[in-house]
Amino acid sequence: MLAETLFVFSVTGAPCFPSKLKRQSRRLAELGSAHGNGRKEVQGVMRRALVLGVMVVGVALLLWAGWHNLRERKLAMQKARENQVVLLPEKQGQAGSEEGDDLAPKMRGKKAPAFVLTSLDGKKVSLADYKGRPVLVNFWATWCGPCKVEMPWFEQFRKQYAAQGFEILGLTDDADAGKDAITKVAQKSGVTYPILLTDGKVQTAYGGLDVLPMSFYVDRNGVIVEQTAGLGPKDQIEANIKKTIASGGVSQAGGQ
Amino acid sequence: MQNLARAGMILLSGIVSGPVMAQQVNLAAPPAKTKQYIVYAAEEQNLAAGKKSVVELRFHVVDGFHVNSHTPKSELLIPTNLKLDPAAGVKAAAVEYPAGEAYSFSFEPNEKLDVYTGAFTVKVPVVAEAGSHTINGVLHYQACDKAACYPPKSLPVQMVVTAK
Repeated sequence: MLAETLFVFSVTGAPCFPSKLKRQSRRLAELGSAHGNGRKEVQGVMRRALVLGVMVVGVALLLWAGWHNLRERKLAMQKARENQVVLLPEKQGQAGSEEGDDLAPKMRGKKAPAFVLTSLDGKKVSLADYKGRPVLVNFWATWCGPCKVEMPWFEQFRKQYAAQGFEILGLTDDADAGKDAITKVAQKSGVTYPILLTDGKVQTAYGGLDVLPMSFYVDRNGVIVEQTAGLGPKDQIEANIKKTIASGGVSQAGGQ
Repeated sequence: MQNLARAGMILLSGIVSGPVMAQQVNLAAPPAKTKQYIVYAAEEQNLAAGKKSVVELRFHVVDGFHVNSHTPKSELLIPTNLKLDPAAGVKAAAVEYPAGEAYSFSFEPNEKLDVYTGAFTVKVPVVAEAGSHTINGVLHYQACDKAACYPPKSLPVQMVVTAK
C-alpha cells in the first residue's frame, strides 16, 4: 500500500531529475554571484537544494518501500505455500520406496467389517446400527497430531450433510491413553459425533492400522467406497463424503 | 512497476501451483509388523574394566520421519524411551537422552513439538567388570511424517560391551 502511494508520488515528481536540478542550482548560484544579488540568490539555491534533498529522500523511500513490499509478499506466499496441506504426495516420494506396494487401498470395494464397540458415554455402538446411512469410520489417536487437525472438519461436514443421513464414527486407536484423556482431546477438537473405544480386533478387521489417521467411507449398503490414510486436504475429504452419500443406489430427498 | 509486476507473478504462481500441490494419495497401511522408522547401528564398545564409562547407542530416524524426543512437550505424546535389561557384570545408571529439536507440522505452525530427526545418540553410564557382556534392551518410540503418524513401535537393541 505504501509502495503504491509512493509510486504515484514519484510519477508526478518524475520530470525533476536530481542531476538536472543540481545543474540548475549551480547555474543559478553562478548567476547570482555575477549579478551581485548574493542573499536572494543564495536563498533560492538553498530552497532548490532543500527540494532536491526531499526528492532524493522520496526516491529512496520509494525504492525501500518497493523492496519491502516485494519481500513481504514473497514471505507471505512462502508461508501460504508451507501451510498448504500437501503432505501425502511428498511423503510418497520420501518414504515411497519403503512402502512400495502398500500404496493400494486394500479395503476399497469391500464390505465394511462389522463391529460392536463401547462409546465414551458407555453405550454399545454397532456399525449395523447405521445400516442404510452413509458413514465415515475414522481411526484416530490422542498422540496423533494430523488426526486432530481433521476432526473439526469432520464435525463441520457431519452437520453439513446431516440431511443426507451422513454420520461419523471416531474409533480411538489408543492403547494406553485413558478414557479421560480421550474425552478431553475429543472435547477440545469440538467433536460431537460418537467416539468409540477400540478392542484391538477392529483394527485388524480393517486391515491393520499402520498409519493414522485412517478413514473408511462406508456407503448405505455397507460397502467401503473409499479408504484414505494420513491427513489430506479438506476439500478431498468433502469430495469423499459426497461420493459416499451418492453411492449405494438409494436416492434420498436432497441427496447429492 | 517492475516490483509490482514481480509480486503479481509470484502471487499468480502461488494460485496456479496451489491446486496442483493439493492432491491426496489414498493408501492402505501395510500389515508388516516389523516395520521400523528408526535404525539402530550396533557397535562393539570397549571400556576400561571397573571404571565409570559411557556406552553410546547410535540411532538414525529414517529420512522423512520424526519421533518425539524423550521429553515431548505434551503429555499426550509418546516419548522415545530406552529400556535396558539387567546384564550380569554391568551396572548401568540412568539413560541420558539428547535434547530434541523444535518441529511443527506445516498445518499447525504454532504447535511446537520436540523431536529427533536423523541421527541421535543415547548414552548409558556404566561400570563393567572385565570380560565381554551383552546388554539387551528395547527402544520405544512413536514416529510421524509430514501428514500421518504411525503407531508406537518397539525396536530391539543389543550391544556388546568388552571391558579390559
